Amino acid sequence: VDWRSFSERALFRAFVVVVVASSLFGCGRYAVRATEKEYLADRVMTFDNTDQEARAEDSVLAGREGSAGPASGAEDGGGCK
Amino acid sequence: MQVTLHRLAGACALGLALATGGVAHADDRFDFTTSWFQELRKGSEGDLTVLQPQLDVGVDVGDDVTVEAGYTADVISGATAAVYSVDAVSTATPFEETHHQGRLGLGFRGRRSRLTLSAGAGTERDYGSLSLTAKGDIDLPGRNTRLGLTYTHAFDEVCDKDNAEATPLERRPLTGFDTCKKNLLFGDDQPGVTVWRDLSVDTTQLTVTQNLTPTINMQVALYGQVLKGFQSNPYRRVRVRTYEPQENLPDVRGRLALSARLNKFLPSLRGAVHLSGRGYSDTWGVSSGTIELAYSQYVGNHLLLGARARGYQQSAAKFFKDAFFYEHEGEAGAYFAGDRELSRLRHLILGGKISFIETPRYGRPVWGVFDEVSADLKADVLLMEELATDPSDLNPVGIDNQFLTAGKTLDGFLIQLGLTLAY
Repeated sequence: VDWRSFSERALFRAFVVVVVASSLFGCGRYAVRATEKEYLADRVMTFDNTDQEARAEDSVLAGREGSAGPASGAEDGGGCK
Repeated sequence: MQVTLHRLAGACALGLALATGGVAHADDRFDFTTSWFQELRKGSEGDLTVLQPQLDVGVDVGDDVTVEAGYTADVISGATAAVYSVDAVSTATPFEETHHQGRLGLGFRGRRSRLTLSAGAGTERDYGSLSLTAKGDIDLPGRNTRLGLTYTHAFDEVCDKDNAEATPLERRPLTGFDTCKKNLLFGDDQPGVTVWRDLSVDTTQLTVTQNLTPTINMQVALYGQVLKGFQSNPYRRVRVRTYEPQENLPDVRGRLALSARLNKFLPSLRGAVHLSGRGYSDTWGVSSGTIELAYSQYVGNHLLLGARARGYQQSAAKFFKDAFFYEHEGEAGAYFAGDRELSRLRHLILGGKISFIETPRYGRPVWGVFDEVSADLKADVLLMEELATDPSDLNPVGIDNQFLTAGKTLDGFLIQLGLTLAY
């Protein structure tokens, strides 16, 4: 396993993506005014309101997909073969 | 009994789950979900069944502190293949196991920031895990951008046959009859019988959440993980030429994933479109792509309907071979694996969800007590397709029987029933 070449290449690409994304996000301070956030506050617009659902799905996928991890920011044990 | 090794990687993030879970909620909450997963399998030993109850309780202590506790169990029964070979179906054996996880967390809220410290523990007959997590996030000025960072370290142990100085091809697998002695959470070696192998897992995730317009927001997440230690399934054997030794995987694995999700609210329809994608690569050579499209629709004042489709495809690990090639060519370097999730494969998940939501009317709490009551029923169907890792024209027996996957149109389903009470 060529750990060094993998880590340098992959980390560099990821770093570039994060820097570019962060720069774009940094311009977003004024994207939406406080009075315009009614829809953004709706439960269907939040990214972390289904923790137990995500946990159960991650448990199932952990035994079936080699890349299983927290796509949703949630992960735990469980899973089976 | 059968240990589930990907659980080791997953369990490293017990705390991550907690840190990204209910602790982040500002209100007192009670969440209970029961999941039933059924996978159809070949062979005479039947299908695989997993029941997973989850309970999370969060309580605010003052204005700025939240205490949360959670518990998850996995009750698993069904068939597994004892030997990875061209005919794994004939080696299908029944197994049962129960896995318990507990977690505790303490969350602190500032005016624009949150910090969560948590600990989790998981245990079963042949496995133990302790994880510690720190998570912080902050809203940037304007409250349109949120940055989040999570780090988890897990100390895992897995029971293994004491193979002493045996070479990889001589190693014997653990069996359900071997005694795995434990002192509370962690194991106690029994020389000549069983030993406990360490696995340390470091996981970090950086997230950026951004409001783009009054109806669109998105989140980008960078996920990294390093696993060091014993990662093989101690029960699994692989037929390598004339041998059938215990599976042998590298001790170090680095994993990296970049994901993006986007929500678009549709005011005229009272619905929302959700789009997400994820790219993944690791040092074992597994690379994958995931794309998901979902839609949510309010119906009346209390119903929320959802539907989704998720597609996934991955490449095989560098050392993974279709069973025929392990049997006729031998190992790949020093390694040989029988894990389905290390092979080349493709998945499709189709699902639906219905939620009943009750919120206060005219300022009166729901049922006189709660700020919100939500009951959810969710169902997913799983369609799996294993793909040939090695050239099909050189494999006269094919790959149809090297795993227990049913090979039918429908390979499994997941049904979840959940209840959330916020008060």
